[in-house]
Amino acid sequence: MLGRSKDWLLGIAGGVLLALMTNYNSLLAKHTSSVFGSWVAHGIGAVAALLLVLVAARAFGAGGGERKEKRAKAPFWVYLGGIPGAFTVMLAAIAVNSSLELSGTIALMLVGQVLFGIVSDYFGLFGTPRRRLVLADFFVVLSVLTGSALIIFGGA
Amino acid sequence: MLPYILLAFLNGMIIGTSRAVNGRLSTGIGPFRASLWNHVVGFLFLTLVLLVMGDWKFDDAGSAPLSAYLGGFFGALFVAVNSYVFPRLGAMNAALLVISGQMVTAVLIDFHNRNETPGALRILGVVIVIAGIYLSRVTSAAREKGKGND
Repeated sequence: MLGRSKDWLLGIAGGVLLALMTNYNSLLAKHTSSVFGSWVAHGIGAVAALLLVLVAARAFGAGGGERKEKRAKAPFWVYLGGIPGAFTVMLAAIAVNSSLELSGTIALMLVGQVLFGIVSDYFGLFGTPRRRLVLADFFVVLSVLTGSALIIFGGA
Repeated sequence: MLPYILLAFLNGMIIGTSRAVNGRLSTGIGPFRASLWNHVVGFLFLTLVLLVMGDWKFDDAGSAPLSAYLGGFFGALFVAVNSYVFPRLGAMNAALLVISGQMVTAVLIDFHNRNETPGALRILGVVIVIAGIYLSRVTSAAREKGKGND
């Protein structure tokens, strides 16, 4: 119970980090371009992640790469998550420049993310545990998407 | 219009795919190494894109304020945190929690950047998002209790 609450808070903290990232990255993109800005951000992010790996290895001992025995079994595609991640920057730039504008693009991307989550849980995609939807999930999804829509389209 | 709607929607699915793959990698080599791989592979991919497009903007990069370069640091932390919780929470819950934290923080950042109080509709949106997440926590806590430990 306590363990799950920690994961839950970390999930929200991830969202806080993502909003801060977007805030600074869009500043960089405004001065350069969306693709070049993302390239610079990925480069700085790689250096930052390397530092995190080194700090974590020192803090938690040499076992920074936990469960090493699984490493050999992992298929090669698990290392390629960065490609769709970088690809989204270009797709978003195209959509933002259409009549959808920034607000419409963000809203549709949120819906896409949640729908992906529902499909992924249902089929247990990418090695995640399968999970069935319950009635409460429907209200949670509805609340988060409705609230987000009000924030996006509700003006300043 | 419709192609763009589908494109933006598809983009959300691709974001989900990227996070799921990084989450899968994290269970094998740990969240920090997963974040490192994500950024190195993404950097190489974007290098190819820039080589093809020839759209280097080194001359403009100097005009950006120093804070514009902080995004990469937050990105490295985000991928690590999200990859850690993704397989533990499940894809849908991870997406909903990240979106909630992101939207509420965005309202606060706008408030800070523009120095004007958010309007009534935005505040209502924040309240509804928080209510939804509270409901999710209460119902999954009840389910966990029913199932026993974890």
